[in-house]
Amino acid sequence: MDSVKTALVIGGGLAGLEAAIKIGQAGHKTILVEKEAALGGNVAKLFSSFPRWENPVDLLEYKINKLKECSLISVMTGTTVKFAQKRDKSYSVELLSTTGTKNKIEVDAVVIATGFELFDASVYGEYGYGSFDNVMDSLQFEAKLKEWSENKENISPPKSVAFFKCVGSRDRSKGFPYCSKVCCMYTAKQAGLVKDLFPDTRCFVFYMDYRAAGKEYEEFTRSVIEQKHVRYVRGRPSKVLPEDGRLLIRAEDTLMGVPIEITADMIVLASAVVPSHGTKEMSKLFNAKIDQYGFIDHEDFNPVKTGDRVFYAGACGFAVENLGAMHQGAAAAAEVISLFNQVD
Amino acid sequence: MNVAYFPGCSLHGMASEYDLSARLVCKHLGINLQEIEDWNCCGATAAHSLDHLLNVALGARNLNIVKEMHLDRVTAPCAGCFNRLKTASYEMRHNPRVAAEVEKLIIAPAPVEPEVTNLLQLLIEIKGIEAIARQVVKPLKGLKLAAYYGCLLTRPTKVVEFDASEQPISLDLLLNALGAETVIWGHKAECCGGGYAASETNIVLDLGGQVLDSAHAAGAEAIVVACPMCQINLDSRRGKIEADRGKKYDMPIIYFTQLMGLAYGYSPRQLGLSKLLLNPITLLKSKELV
Amino acid sequence: MPDSTKQVTQSYYKTYKLDNIDDSLKLELKEKCGIDIETCLECGKCTGGCSNTHIFDFTPRKIVQLIKMGQETRLYHLDALWTCVSCQLCVDRCPAGIDIARIIDFVREKAIKRGAEPTRSNVKMFHELMLDEINKTGRVGETVLMIKFNLKRGLYFENADLGRKLFFKGKLKLFIPGIKNIGQVRRMFNSNPVQREV
Repeated sequence: MDSVKTALVIGGGLAGLEAAIKIGQAGHKTILVEKEAALGGNVAKLFSSFPRWENPVDLLEYKINKLKECSLISVMTGTTVKFAQKRDKSYSVELLSTTGTKNKIEVDAVVIATGFELFDASVYGEYGYGSFDNVMDSLQFEAKLKEWSENKENISPPKSVAFFKCVGSRDRSKGFPYCSKVCCMYTAKQAGLVKDLFPDTRCFVFYMDYRAAGKEYEEFTRSVIEQKHVRYVRGRPSKVLPEDGRLLIRAEDTLMGVPIEITADMIVLASAVVPSHGTKEMSKLFNAKIDQYGFIDHEDFNPVKTGDRVFYAGACGFAVENLGAMHQGAAAAAEVISLFNQVD
Repeated sequence: MNVAYFPGCSLHGMASEYDLSARLVCKHLGINLQEIEDWNCCGATAAHSLDHLLNVALGARNLNIVKEMHLDRVTAPCAGCFNRLKTASYEMRHNPRVAAEVEKLIIAPAPVEPEVTNLLQLLIEIKGIEAIARQVVKPLKGLKLAAYYGCLLTRPTKVVEFDASEQPISLDLLLNALGAETVIWGHKAECCGGGYAASETNIVLDLGGQVLDSAHAAGAEAIVVACPMCQINLDSRRGKIEADRGKKYDMPIIYFTQLMGLAYGYSPRQLGLSKLLLNPITLLKSKELV
Repeated sequence: MPDSTKQVTQSYYKTYKLDNIDDSLKLELKEKCGIDIETCLECGKCTGGCSNTHIFDFTPRKIVQLIKMGQETRLYHLDALWTCVSCQLCVDRCPAGIDIARIIDFVREKAIKRGAEPTRSNVKMFHELMLDEINKTGRVGETVLMIKFNLKRGLYFENADLGRKLFFKGKLKLFIPGIKNIGQVRRMFNSNPVQREV
């Protein structure tokens, strides 16, 4: 029996957009639900992207236009999924908008694309996040970069900016044992951007490793070190002390094996990528498979399937870069389309 | 409330004013401190440096007496003693091999039951900030203080389980409840040089000097401590540190219980304020607090 | 630069053969102290924040590295063993949760048992004098300890000025009553294999 099938995509970030577009273009009714007033998720907050220094605004504009072109896709911003009940071959879902409107819909497949958040670095008291001024996380710094680029002539640039990698990642003691994958790349990007804006500002990246396992990634990172002259220091900083209005950093240069000190005006923490609140809620509502950290997990042999008629894409499954999020969105769409094409 | 009390060698010796003010303040708050009868030295730096098992055994003997007193909690005002007793308790609870060895030395089952708390922890966690604030009759208005925790009060986190180790706030909250202002400064939980006071004094001059410098730069008028080692190190070596660095650090180093006592209406004499090498009386008079 | 560092750097420049690393110390640490140094990420956070890192001949991370490389003998002759303040900053900040302060204590204990000469004998002496007081009376009188420490080193007037100030504040106590059940404390010392000269 050929009935009209409906897909629900939860999350209007890059992965969700890709999934919705592909499902809609394949000729199926798609409802895209996004909790914020605007589409784009975390990518909308970015000033630039790796490895090609592209403006994410262009990418998002392109995707959102494709979305709008497809009449089968209805977009509901300022809306969240409040309740879901599993039926035999569908889900009965209750939506709630910020205006208070409730909506009950019946869907035949769900794609969870609820993205990520950054770990709260206040746990690292030794870095002074939340205690000292000018210690911020990477998303906050991205906003700062946007601010600086719009107002370059009127800014007196910082003399020195330090980037700490692995804050909360690769930490069995106070954080998470896993590696958040994208921070090495985006930190190189951020440090490089500072040098582009203010060539005289000293940039230090404190690292344990730099992980550039991707297409054009190694070349990108080397260019930041060799052409933009960002200084990489191998050592996880131990303490930040306020000194004369600036920030004194105590660390070790492990390659030389000596303790070092650097004074910076601003410190950027590459905080760990953690599952968003939306991911935690949706995984419960739809009974999705999750791992010990709350990231969505996949069924054996099915990399984007997490439950009965439930798929996922993007950072809700684990930290992933822009390209990967789009790949996964397309893969989840393929699963949905394949499911819809099956004869019942 | 009945709590076993472990004064430690310092409180019976050079830090008697800490003992005096602690007892006064606890009595005022309705906490009945029962000194552990026949307590032995916790071992301080010496024991754990040369003989780990001895350190645990010395602590175990004390904790065993607490058990015999039928008390479930022991408090130690000295951060060093607290850390040693807490570590002994932790080792016995988590390392069955150590517990077995200790049992042979104290000829009793490993005393894992008593809870070890430092005095600051007891007051804040058990009594609560409101109860502490309620007794204030003379708010310490106008005092700008640097709350100094030292290194052992809050570390290691998994053993001590008290406050945040790098940006602790309990002492700051207590001092605020007494009406004083506390400064934000970087060295609030860094080491003063501890047990090297006599054997490698240069270490204390270096580390203690950094603490004094940092508090001074933050605009503190006095440093408040919860450890006799920190108090003696900063107070007694100040002169030499000032000479070495060419700066003046006119900050008295006061035990937090003495300030509590002041806020509760006790006199400087009752609190042994004059026993501190740099007498805070001048500072307090300038703020019209005495 | 202290003498021990000169010694260390002289034999520092050689090629280390790592085919057959002696793992015994690493395994002993795991078995006796529950410390697994293979979890060390070599990040340097311990060294960066160590209170005395600037005077250590081998910094905390390097000490762990020496164990990984099976360099037991060098460990027993470190000056760092005698300048570590046990502040626990390294322990608290290590992302692998390695108890480095405990490692240093463990190595120091072994060094003494192996008869290695401490690079700072006054530090060892002070510890031993304190333990001696505990053995004799069960408690430590700071004044008595200071006087004995001065006498033993022949530095009769060290800290005399401070002593005078403390005396006038009524802080010096020459007589410390011992505990009643001193036998219970002495028992702990006698059963221990640590050899002390005092």
